[in-house]
Amino acid sequence: MAEHHAASDGKHKASANAGGSVHGNSRPGAAGGGGGGGGGKGGLSGGLTQPAGWQSLLSFSILFLACLAGFSSRLFAVIRFESIIHEFDPWFNYRSTHHLTTNGFFEFLNWFDERAWYPLGRIVGGTVYPGLMVTAGLIHYVLNLLHITVHIRDVCVFLAPVFSGLTAISTFLLTRELWNQGAGLLAACFIAIVPGYISRSVAGSFDNEGIAIFALQFTYYLWVKSVKTGSVFWTIGCCLSYFYMVSAWGGYVFIINLIPLHVFVLLLMQRYSRRVYIAYSTFYIVGLILSMQIPFVGFQPIRTSEHMAAAGVFALLQAYAFLQYLKDRLTRQEFQTLFFLGVSLAAGVVFLTVIYLTYTGIYAKIHIPIIASVSEHQPTTWVSFFFDLHILVCTFPAGLWFCIKNINDERVFVALYAISAVYFAGVMVRLMLTLTPVVCMLSAVAFSSVFEHYMGDDTKREKPPAEDSSDEDDKRNSGNLYDKAGKVRKHVSEQEKAEEGLGPNVKSIVTMLMLMLLMMFAVHCTWVTSNAYSSPSVVLASYNHDGTRNILDDFREAYYWLRQNTDEHARVMSWWDYGYQIAGMANRTTLVDNNTWNNSHIALVGKAMSSNESAAYQIMRSLDVDYVLIIFGGVIGYSGDDINKFLWMVRIAEGEHPKDIRESDYFTPQGEFRVDKAGSPTLLNCLMYKMSYYRFGEMQLDFRTPPGFDRTRNAEIGNKDIKFKHLEEAFTSEHWLVRIYKVKNLDNREPLDHKLRSVVPKQKYTSKKVAGHILFCCFNQK
Amino acid sequence: MIGKSPLLAAFLLLLAVSSEVSADGLVNEEVKRTVDLSTHLAKITAEIVLSNQGHSAVQSFMLAVEADLAPHLAYIGASVKGDEEEDGTLELQQTTIPGQSGQFYKVQLPSTLAAGAQLKAKVEMTFSHVLKPFPTQITQAERQLVVFQGNHYLYSPYPTRSQTTRVRLASKTVESYTKLGNPSKNDEIVEYGPFRDVAPFSEDTMKIHYENNTPFLTISSITRTIEVSHWGNIAVEETIDLRHTGAVLKGPFSRYDYQRQSDSGISSVKSFKTILPASAQDVYYRDEIGNISTSHLQVLDDSVEVEVRPRFPLFGGWKTHYMIGYNLPSYEYLYTLGDQYALKMRLVDHVYDDQVIDSLTVKIILPEGARNIHVDTPYRIDRMPNQLHYTYLDTFGRPVLVATKNNLVEHHIQDVVVHYNFNKILMLQEPLLVVGAFYILFFTVIIYVRLDFAITKDPAAEVRMKVASITEQVLTLVNKRLGLYRHMDEVVNRYKQSRDTGALNSGRKTLEADHRTLTNEISSLQARLKAEGSDLADKVGEVQKLDGQVKELVCRSCQEAERLVAGKVKKEAYIESEKTLTSKRQELVSRIDSLLDAL
Repeated sequence: MAEHHAASDGKHKASANAGGSVHGNSRPGAAGGGGGGGGGKGGLSGGLTQPAGWQSLLSFSILFLACLAGFSSRLFAVIRFESIIHEFDPWFNYRSTHHLTTNGFFEFLNWFDERAWYPLGRIVGGTVYPGLMVTAGLIHYVLNLLHITVHIRDVCVFLAPVFSGLTAISTFLLTRELWNQGAGLLAACFIAIVPGYISRSVAGSFDNEGIAIFALQFTYYLWVKSVKTGSVFWTIGCCLSYFYMVSAWGGYVFIINLIPLHVFVLLLMQRYSRRVYIAYSTFYIVGLILSMQIPFVGFQPIRTSEHMAAAGVFALLQAYAFLQYLKDRLTRQEFQTLFFLGVSLAAGVVFLTVIYLTYTGIYAKIHIPIIASVSEHQPTTWVSFFFDLHILVCTFPAGLWFCIKNINDERVFVALYAISAVYFAGVMVRLMLTLTPVVCMLSAVAFSSVFEHYMGDDTKREKPPAEDSSDEDDKRNSGNLYDKAGKVRKHVSEQEKAEEGLGPNVKSIVTMLMLMLLMMFAVHCTWVTSNAYSSPSVVLASYNHDGTRNILDDFREAYYWLRQNTDEHARVMSWWDYGYQIAGMANRTTLVDNNTWNNSHIALVGKAMSSNESAAYQIMRSLDVDYVLIIFGGVIGYSGDDINKFLWMVRIAEGEHPKDIRESDYFTPQGEFRVDKAGSPTLLNCLMYKMSYYRFGEMQLDFRTPPGFDRTRNAEIGNKDIKFKHLEEAFTSEHWLVRIYKVKNLDNREPLDHKLRSVVPKQKYTSKKVAGHILFCCFNQK
Repeated sequence: MIGKSPLLAAFLLLLAVSSEVSADGLVNEEVKRTVDLSTHLAKITAEIVLSNQGHSAVQSFMLAVEADLAPHLAYIGASVKGDEEEDGTLELQQTTIPGQSGQFYKVQLPSTLAAGAQLKAKVEMTFSHVLKPFPTQITQAERQLVVFQGNHYLYSPYPTRSQTTRVRLASKTVESYTKLGNPSKNDEIVEYGPFRDVAPFSEDTMKIHYENNTPFLTISSITRTIEVSHWGNIAVEETIDLRHTGAVLKGPFSRYDYQRQSDSGISSVKSFKTILPASAQDVYYRDEIGNISTSHLQVLDDSVEVEVRPRFPLFGGWKTHYMIGYNLPSYEYLYTLGDQYALKMRLVDHVYDDQVIDSLTVKIILPEGARNIHVDTPYRIDRMPNQLHYTYLDTFGRPVLVATKNNLVEHHIQDVVVHYNFNKILMLQEPLLVVGAFYILFFTVIIYVRLDFAITKDPAAEVRMKVASITEQVLTLVNKRLGLYRHMDEVVNRYKQSRDTGALNSGRKTLEADHRTLTNEISSLQARLKAEGSDLADKVGEVQKLDGQVKELVCRSCQEAERLVAGKVKKEAYIESEKTLTSKRQELVSRIDSLLDAL
């Protein structure tokens, strides 16, 4: 269909130009349209011998520019800071990739990481989705094979932007299958710059999502293609792409539920065809086998409830196809329809219960405090919908409506995609990511249709069926979109052209409005990307009044100190947020990290943090802790520090040790969480409090505030006289952001005979402690 | 014979030694020794007035280093103080003297020293790691005390008539010092002597325990990589392991004290300055986890100064690791004569003042294809086997020269010269490689697009494509034909003004000719369309019919114009008829257009 329009469009342009040249003013509208379509470039070609060629060149260059825009708009962080891995999880991915490149693939699959989850360790090869690491490792390997000596870090940093470019291409392909080429280009431009996707794929955010969205879109494209053609070739392609997705991200479950849902709905809509049968049967069998090749997935696809819907639909489809076959052979129609109804009802009930179980499962998980404590697992607010998608969130229902109005097999798919993704995005902030591509596609459809109506040329529209002329307009606009400024004058000429036709004012107003919206969208995207999503969070920056920048590099300062100046096998206790960073940057053993698989271990660390010093010492001794690392933002006013996260530690600890830790103890009788004098005594004497505020009581930050004034919580601390018995300050970074304490060894036993002491008085210096020993004896037995 | 030979050797040796001693007859008339202990190095300089009291002239004299200090000797050098303030650096050669411990160097004199003559020589020695912190562990608030153990006298194979020793310390605070000959102490200086008539090889331990808070930084290892590119760039990268070798920090490190009290952690190292060549560009300073954001760069007239601040202050026993790199323009360091090249670069460069390098590895990466490599080093350095290095677009690897040396100080900042041959044609290899790669890429794309890789044939699609290409051709031809009419209009207009019948006729003739060929081509295409079984052929036929009418109209307007010029018609009538003709023509053309649109 698209090809046909493309061809007719091409001819049209040529004829319009010719008409214009024969007699100047007979049809100025047509001439303008044709000339505008070819643009200034048309002049260069002389006779416009190959209009179809021009069109493909135009789409190619727009797509290329969209990729480029997608790539380069993700580089804010690299330009402002440096080529560095961001945040938390990417550090683990980077570390694993580094391991993969230095030790080889099989060593990576068998990797037992003894530096994590001390003393348990972690079987990394079997507990990760290896797609990301293998992709980066493969790129690095190929580049090195060609003697392009790129450091693996740079490969990792730039992987997500590169894949965003590929996502733009796959979104273009998918949208072209669903609607037309113009909408495809518009969708590619949208997905390239939409903040909802950028938030997960800026340079340096080396995370699964970065490559998974590409795999997701590409799998869907191949699926739509295989449903359309019913060819095994495309289906196998779809399976391979699905395999890649499975290897890359746990979100593959979304695909393995959405595709069966699509097939199921097609059956319900009486849209069953042989194409659907071939596509789904092949996809299910080959995809199932391929997905089970990933060690982390293993036998899950035939065991867990998330995958049962696919199996159910597979069975249903076979039954349905069998019935179809029988229907051709037998004559007893009534019986068969009855039979069919019975079967479909039964299958539907099974399907629905499975879905119900699946999602109640998700809900159950959400109420575990450790999952609830993660900010990205919170329910999405309306603000973040607008923040991440801007105008697209308003236009995509229109696109959905257009799709439903002109329904066909693949548009059923996109409608289901949209509805399910909206639901998931509402449940969790991080699943906004799966919503973003479909929103881009459907908004592109909406914009494309609107432009078709309001920017197209009437005289042309009488003959060819509409879409073609708007195609080129769309493309031009999407070109505007990432060129942003500068090209605005172009649509002035289009306006003039529109005035010649019917309802010129309405047309121009609508066009202007739409273009304005798109422009605002582009501005918004740039702003959000630059301000919200381009901070490495490992390096902080503050700006002075004159605009100069101060870099607060405390995290790396402390991590590097750990790396250089502690024993290679030292064990560092910290809250789990920093586990991956400590492993990645400091290269030291951690107790808990961001792979929060062992709740009780985390609870133990939480308990140590929230107990008093001697109880904590007991726990730390039992866990062989050498150093304790905490984040303290009171000096510079950094709000993401450990005191602000402290209540989650208490809650998680309480979940496992309800006898020892009670959340209510940490609140004032009025139910407030305060660090000043009015705060609860349990809080003021717990380990976390003491470590955060050790010697902070002496520090006067400026003349207006008393000493020991916490800038983050705007309070003067309540306990200024903090002394440690079992710990000792080992390192504090320049802005006090990271504080590291050394856990002292047990004291030497007090010599029983005082005479002995006087005989060898020099032995005294072997004792590491200054005073206070007796308490320790009781812990000796551990 | 066999039994005799060791005896003979011993005899010969004895003879040689005795002859040397006797031939020498040298005496240190006056020695001024300065022991500089103000940094973490011990720099001992001695100004010696050497007199030859033997009977014959001498060519050389001997320098000696005490056995205790010898392993720490980083640098030794001697120069002659001429009368005209001209310092000639002398050549040293390590030898041994049997029966005596220590290291010995034979100094070759520039001119012979005649019997009875005198000579002023200056000897410089630098020792690393001879200042031992004592106590070895201090807390953050304490100051660093160090002990130096040396010799009160000049260690020399010759008798000394008179000598003084002056010791310069880092601070006034001195815990203790040996009191040989009642030395005088004035602020930071302790002066011993003068000692008279000291025997050869005399040793007497000098021990000084004093406060020294200068940075005790040691580069435990440095790898300096110099990558030469003939495209105009030399990239230098130094990977440095740095350690504070002073008294080890004991107990906690308190940031509060460190920030609030100026004398807290006084012996720690906050930052230091590295001086890079003046033309250094794109300086970077980073480590395994990224850029170290705490550095400052200052471009001066004759150098580039980097204030290197490690991520954290270095206390005693702490270490850090970093990389510093920069680019240099090759014209300043690379000399060429035809195919011969010479690279003249510093073998080791400045890292901080009074630097100590425990272990140095230099790697010089020459361009791919460099041959006949020959290295001139300023001092002895251990060469390792050459390696190969592969980087951008390399095929057979770049030769890498590797050399190592231990225990280096500032005196070792000297130039190394690498000579090699390089065929300039090889410079083209890499661009050609890129061109070739792109050529292959495009060629593959061309092949892929031109060939059909489908395993099934779709005849309908083929026909469609054929028809599409034919209609495309028809379109261009029709457009061309319409263009002819417009051209004819112009000719007629021109004729109306110039009244040149010849031009009109020739214009008409060309129109006829071109029109015929185009029409023929279109009809042949039409026939082909028909052959493909497309219904578009009828439409093309219609277009042809309409076009015939248009042509008629054009001819008529042409005739009208002729008649006008000939005066056969009045102007008003002509304009009237012209108008009808034009409107008819427009109508026809728009019909053709609509037909073409439908194609």
